[in-house]
Amino acid sequence: MSRFTYLFKRVALSIPVIIFGTTVTFAIIRLGPLSPAAAILGPQGDARAIRQIEKRLGLNDPLWEQYFDFMSNLFLFDLGQSWVINSGTPAIDLIISYAPRTIWLGFWAVLIALGIGIPLGFYAGLNPNTFSDYFASFGGIVWRAMPNFWLAVILVTVLSQSEQLFGFSWTSFIVETNVVTSPNLAVLKNPTRLLTDPGQAWTNLAKATKQILPPALVLGSASMGTEMRIGRTAVLETINSKYVETAKAKGVSPRVLVWKHIFRNALIPLVPVITAEAFILIGGSVLVETVFSINGIGLLFFRAAEQGDLPLVGTLMYLFILLIVGLNIVQDFAYTIIDPRVGYDG
Amino acid sequence: MSHTDDGEPLLAVDNLRTVFHSEREEIRAVDGVSFDIERGETLGIVGESGSGKSVTARSIMGLVDSPGEIREESSIRLDGRELTTLSEKQYRSVRGGDIAMVFQDPLSSLNPVYTVGNQIIEALELHRGMEGTEAKSEAIELLRAVGIPDAARRVDEFPHEFSGGMRQRAVIAMALACDPDLLICDEPTTALDVTIQAQILDLLQEIQTERDIGIMFITHDMGVIAEVADRVAVMYAGEVVEKAPVEELFANPHHPYTQGLLQSIPGRNPSTDRLPTIEGDVPTPHESASYCRFVSRCPKGFDECERVHPAHVEVGESADHTAACLLYPEDMPTDDTVTHHEENADQTGAEASEALSADDWPAERRKAGEDTGPTGSEDSDARADGGHSHSAGDTGGQLEGGDTDE
Repeated sequence: MSRFTYLFKRVALSIPVIIFGTTVTFAIIRLGPLSPAAAILGPQGDARAIRQIEKRLGLNDPLWEQYFDFMSNLFLFDLGQSWVINSGTPAIDLIISYAPRTIWLGFWAVLIALGIGIPLGFYAGLNPNTFSDYFASFGGIVWRAMPNFWLAVILVTVLSQSEQLFGFSWTSFIVETNVVTSPNLAVLKNPTRLLTDPGQAWTNLAKATKQILPPALVLGSASMGTEMRIGRTAVLETINSKYVETAKAKGVSPRVLVWKHIFRNALIPLVPVITAEAFILIGGSVLVETVFSINGIGLLFFRAAEQGDLPLVGTLMYLFILLIVGLNIVQDFAYTIIDPRVGYDG
Repeated sequence: MSHTDDGEPLLAVDNLRTVFHSEREEIRAVDGVSFDIERGETLGIVGESGSGKSVTARSIMGLVDSPGEIREESSIRLDGRELTTLSEKQYRSVRGGDIAMVFQDPLSSLNPVYTVGNQIIEALELHRGMEGTEAKSEAIELLRAVGIPDAARRVDEFPHEFSGGMRQRAVIAMALACDPDLLICDEPTTALDVTIQAQILDLLQEIQTERDIGIMFITHDMGVIAEVADRVAVMYAGEVVEKAPVEELFANPHHPYTQGLLQSIPGRNPSTDRLPTIEGDVPTPHESASYCRFVSRCPKGFDECERVHPAHVEVGESADHTAACLLYPEDMPTDDTVTHHEENADQTGAEASEALSADDWPAERRKAGEDTGPTGSEDSDARADGGHSHSAGDTGGQLEGGDTDE
């Protein structure tokens, strides 16, 4: 099977997954106890007004009709307008305006997990049963064990009182920032200002980065711990394999041994862990953004789901599903590149 | 068999002691082993799992990592050059350059994510300074030399696209890439089926004749030993218990352990209902030997075996046939042999081995022994017998059954 037919097959196979995912979303929103009309009117709405709004939104149409409308619109990327959160605004516009903060958060979360977890795991695996290995391994377990909703709350508490607790003020550290707030990303939309107005722009970038680091650490902590531990195991397993011994017997230097013979083989079990981070990020961002009150996709999704804003929830779910399905395909392609034993057949 | 100018053998292992430190005790995996290998000669090393064969090989390759350690009194000389004192960096050029190793399991001894060619070229770059197309055509040449058809195409294939036998050929090609003087084969045929086994053994013999290299061949398969070895060293619990030319060993085994090994080959005793075995397991030696380590399993053991460590004595007709057993020399009464061994064992372990290894297998004597050749019909029978048990696909000659791991 060629690379192209393989890709085609994978895309075709992902269609049922997408249909299933969006159907479940529809079922939960429409068959559950949520009433978008009541949410729009608030607690004071009377029965007549509610019926009126239900009629306007088409909530009294037969359910299958609503379902087919919902599905066909999604597949045609006619994503509709928000009902409740920001009535009348196209869902996609809302998402675009909320997305950058989440992407900024996700970027740092992934960077922390990959940049600290994997090197630390490889280091621990290359120096097994030393003090630094125990230190790193223990750290990995601790990071893995702290649930992100708990860690987020603790981190907010500690950072906002760091002056009293440690005599070190996080808020005035390097640049003045608040602990709980949305980062201002204007500078990223206009990167040229880093050159034209360096003083102000760099300060803003530093602020945005400093603000995002605590939530990103919370979001990346679990993946960081997992990657550290899997990385360590993978390296240990590879080091003790016969082909590494054969390479040693060939007279290969330790540097080449690590980078050529160990590293690439140890990466194979890490691939699914890295792509699985995407799921953790999407789920975790809801919690972390709420605690750190970052106006991002996670917060938007949470509020939309709570209030039965079907077009917005549907659109977000649809995009999440596409992202995850796409990442899975990318992951399988990454396998075929890293590990020649994985073919396109079967 | 050519000798180096100064009369040194190609490889001289002298009183090799490799110990592993664990938290509570030290494990003497190899305890005072001495042997020589000449160019163009194959030394077979046999013994059960845990007898120290593989650790001996790794010690020679300088691949013993912490918590393992080669004791100071050990000496490994290659062409007269002491290897044990080399720095890690100097040892790297010996590894793969002067001594190459073929491992047990060809299925896992090639890196799965690189092409076979890539891995052969790596060795060529390291030791022969070849690069680019020159290295590649040399790699193709090597693959062709070990009998891989369509080498020009297969050089770009990955190990998983090769069959088991092909992979072992590729591993051998990799080992030969740097024109080694000594090839260490650690059970290279154990994981292969019998027809492929025979092909690989033939290939090794061809290579040896062609390149005049010394081969150290580790196996637990007596049939394979009969096929490939010129001389044999039988190892037990970290020590060499008997050394002999191969015909002599099969025809006239002296050490009770060797006798037990040979008896447990199916086909050698067609009249018996049950195959004789050696009861028990190889002990793990923790302390220096002040007794015979085989005594707990020895059918001929007596009281003195518990307190006297046997030294090597000449036995049999050939001068380079020695065994470490209190039963010998045969012409002495038992009391005298015990005193004889005691005298040798009175010295410290290191000195004792020193004294022994000095006239272990002196080249002239060994030659003289060879000139006498296989004596009597018994010898040739044994040879044929061993060969038979191998070529008939009789893997029952293996002492360890399915356990291929050391």
